Amino acid sequence: MNYDVAIIGGGIVGCAILNKLTRKNLKVVLIEKGNDVAVGASKANSSIIHAGFDCKPNTLKAKFNVRGNELTFKLAKELSVPIKQCGALVVGNDLNMVNELFNRGKANGVKGLHILNREQLLTKVPKLNENITCGLFAETSGITSAYLLTIALAEEAVINGAEVKFNTKIKKCVKNDFGYNLIADNLNINAKYVINSAGASYNEVAKILGTEQHEIEFRRGEYFLLDSNIEPLTNLTIFPLPSKFSKGVLITPTVHGQTIVGPTSYESDNTTITTVDGLNEIKEKAVNIIKDIPFNKNIRNFSGVRTICGDDFIVEKSTKKQNIINLAGICSPGLTAAPAIAEYVAENLLGFNNADKKMKKRVPYTCLHDLNEAERNKLIKRNPDYGKIICKCECVSLGEIKEALNSPLKPNSVDAIKRRVRAGMGRCQGGFCLTKVIKTISENLNISEDEVVKENKGSNFYVSNINPKK
Amino acid sequence: MNKNLMYDVVVIGGGPAGMAAAIESYNQGAKTLLIERNEKLGGILNQCIHNGFGLQYFNEELTGPEYALRFVELLSKTKVDVLLNTFVIDINGLNVTIINEKGQTVVQAKAIVLAMGCREKTPAGIMLTGSRPVGVYTAGQVQKMVNIHGKLPGKNCVILGSGDIGLIMARRLTYEGAKVLEVLEIMPESGGLKRNIVQCLNDNNIPLKLKHTVTRVVGNTRIEGVYVAEVDGFTPKLETEKFVKCDCLILSVGLIPEVDLVKNLKLNPKTGGADVNEFRETNISGIFSCGNVLHVHDLVDNVTYESKLAGTNAAKYALGKLTHKKPFNVVAGNGIRYVSPSFGYMSEKEDLMIYFRLSSRITKSYICVKCGENEIYSKFVLAANAGEMQKIQIEKSKINGDLTVLVRGQ
Ligand SMILES: Cc1cc2nc3c(=O)[nH]c(=O)nc-3n(C[C@H](O)[C@H](O)[C@H](O)COP(=O)(O)OP(=O)(O)OC[C@H]3O[C@@H](n4cnc5c(N)ncnc54)[C@H](O)[C@@H]3O)c2cc1C
Ligand SMILES: Cc1cc2nc3c(=O)[nH]c(=O)nc-3n(C[C@H](O)[C@H](O)[C@H](O)COP(=O)(O)OP(=O)(O)OC[C@H]3O[C@@H](n4cnc5c(N)ncnc54)[C@H](O)[C@@H]3O)c2cc1C
Repeated sequence: MNYDVAIIGGGIVGCAILNKLTRKNLKVVLIEKGNDVAVGASKANSSIIHAGFDCKPNTLKAKFNVRGNELTFKLAKELSVPIKQCGALVVGNDLNMVNELFNRGKANGVKGLHILNREQLLTKVPKLNENITCGLFAETSGITSAYLLTIALAEEAVINGAEVKFNTKIKKCVKNDFGYNLIADNLNINAKYVINSAGASYNEVAKILGTEQHEIEFRRGEYFLLDSNIEPLTNLTIFPLPSKFSKGVLITPTVHGQTIVGPTSYESDNTTITTVDGLNEIKEKAVNIIKDIPFNKNIRNFSGVRTICGDDFIVEKSTKKQNIINLAGICSPGLTAAPAIAEYVAENLLGFNNADKKMKKRVPYTCLHDLNEAERNKLIKRNPDYGKIICKCECVSLGEIKEALNSPLKPNSVDAIKRRVRAGMGRCQGGFCLTKVIKTISENLNISEDEVVKENKGSNFYVSNINPKK
Repeated sequence: MNKNLMYDVVVIGGGPAGMAAAIESYNQGAKTLLIERNEKLGGILNQCIHNGFGLQYFNEELTGPEYALRFVELLSKTKVDVLLNTFVIDINGLNVTIINEKGQTVVQAKAIVLAMGCREKTPAGIMLTGSRPVGVYTAGQVQKMVNIHGKLPGKNCVILGSGDIGLIMARRLTYEGAKVLEVLEIMPESGGLKRNIVQCLNDNNIPLKLKHTVTRVVGNTRIEGVYVAEVDGFTPKLETEKFVKCDCLILSVGLIPEVDLVKNLKLNPKTGGADVNEFRETNISGIFSCGNVLHVHDLVDNVTYESKLAGTNAAKYALGKLTHKKPFNVVAGNGIRYVSPSFGYMSEKEDLMIYFRLSSRITKSYICVKCGENEIYSKFVLAANAGEMQKIQIEKSKINGDLTVLVRGQ
């Protein structure tokens, strides 16, 4: 099979590029080693669409963040992905630093920045810690769901002709007359252009492609996710004043009504563990912003790994191999920047300056939880499966799970279903619905329950049957 | 409003608590509706296929499903309306919003009995750290996998927490050919029933390690093992950390009453369930509560007694026959972790039934109830574990003020 472009790695960056190049009317394939898109950094982060005031001026980060912010709000609306421009505060007691952030923001072209005193801050967040005296308010900051956005970008691309290959790892890349011959155990294709958007595995893929190696450092970020039934702490994102390494431990609502507290920033390897020290550090730091945080309402701890190459993103044409694009060190604000990176790669690096084609719209997932009584009744009348609740905490019906199983990327794992329709995302963490979801997947995909996996290959839930005679 | 959707009493949850409450409510002459989200009644009992239910109430040793069946049969002789496959998604005042295959609608009640049971504490509930691979489950999840779906989630299991479900599952998994390597308990004593420790662990040579916990989970795709350490209080002594290879970690670390449906419910911080009066009525007038949603029970028999009370009183309330006069408090004194109910009424003639748990194990002591300076009840106890719920019944004629339940020596 011949393609114009092959993209390696289906995080937010790879999927944004897949979507953009499909809009440019190219034949594009996404190659992902996992069993779904958004299984790397793009599934475990703060999901904040940053305004762009804290990036150093004249960096790629600053440029792509500010442009990306604008593009993300537009894209998310087009794709019917939940997004909210709730704004963000950076708070502390060092007015000089607040001023510096304000000026940096101005230099980066960020609009809607305001310096606030304590009284003004309190009108936005009444529960602020008494030590906080000043802060910066950024109107354009917002929240979304990073994995839903990644999924939606890929889905829309697929509906409009792109292809996605899961569980595929390229082992060999050979130059040929067409461009490159890419070979995996389960794939053999040609592509004129290749894009390395493998995130943390950039160097591994670069080695196979024969392109530049970059010095990569990993920093892990751990989180608490608090239940949706707590008394709301804040309805916008609150950061402490930033440190050298990260934007600090923040508190933010999620688009699904829960609260995120984190992340830490520890030098680490590329594993998403959580640690006692990390979680304790979050507890200690978060109280500097809001004193009484109900950590006993924690429903999930998780972590994500930032891939860092020096001070800036690397978005470049390989000088070693023609027509290969290197994307390395896409750490924060990589989620926000992704659509801008995609635009730049498509138009500036690859030179596809033609206008975007009109895309067939993706159908958003039904969300019973968000419908009113009349809408629910209409839906259930059409299909009674929408009246059969499977996940009690998030109120997810059988109909929604079946819908997800038939969605464009044909997901087949419990976690992929969880990301799409939220079954198992609530306070009981699948205690109630896990076995039902496994059964539903098995029945609808015509596979045995033993074959159903949590996430990637090998993560099967069941190891054997119970001997029926016992 | 559709007449069919108006009831004197609406009971939410069709486990043993809900069934007993519905039957009693009907016996009092109240028009009663019982709502259950599963396709059959019985609640958690349906997955408890082991023996040990009904010793007190029926004087027989039944399995969970057998115990449930007794009440399903009693229920079928009443005119209680039963809605299966129906989820209650909201309770607003005395309006109950339900959803099922027919759609969403509101049922109007004059009184409500909450009987929704409990849920299990998750890894996040104990801040379990390390990786998050497949193979980490709660004991109830494993019970469902094995007993309902006929599937084994692992062959070499470590159980964290010595709650009853964990103990029962240790035995069950052993019977099914899996190896249970060890059961770890962070406390100096197990919270499980004595008989479960003997029959489930000792009889199967499964070690119970007290004052031990899991410090982290290892494994990316599948769990590969856990690090286990001794604790000092609740703090792991890291120098004692040891790696235990396993393919399944099962958490039996506590149950939480499933109260989230009801807004503005006043909770008892010790039980996580509602704070109730002797009728098992919550702070919201007309809303009653019983079974595991009120406080977690270890014996279903106690659930049944308590729920009959709640059902009876909900019906009386709906029919305007409940009086709330001359209140008195019931408080937990020395050696008592909590009491339920927290207050009663002298105007009510029925005996007062108090359930409580001990703060820790006691031997050769008295459990007493004091009314002012008078000791109006005392019982000698040779030995009792904190894990076992206690129950006492007090005649109303003896009560003329606040009560304190306490433990004392000779
Ligand atoms: C803790 C944390 C918090 C963050 N918070 C924010 C935030 O609030 N806002 C923001 O804008 N940004 C944030 N970021 C940054 C953002 O999450 C990342 O920049 C972004 O997700 C990176 O996307 P990616 O596509 O480059 O990488 P990934 O999402 O990691 O995708 C890489 C993909 O490549 C696949 N892959 C790897 N090797 C191969 C191979 N050999 N073959 C095929 N596929 C392969 C992986 O499976 C993976 O799916 C945060 C990051 C972290 C870690
Ligand atoms: C694993 C285990 C082992 C046990 N072993 C023993 C034993 O050996 N001996 C013994 O005597 N006792 C034992 N017990 C204790 C006893 O069985 C339980 O305490 C008792 O079953 C609790 O009854 P319940 O009705 O309160 O709760 P449940 O049985 O949990 O019933 C609650 C019901 O409410 C329904 N429900 C919840 N929310 C909703 C909603 N929103 N809408 C509709 N329906 C809803 C649920 O589906 C469920 O059917 C055991 C308990 C467990 C969990």
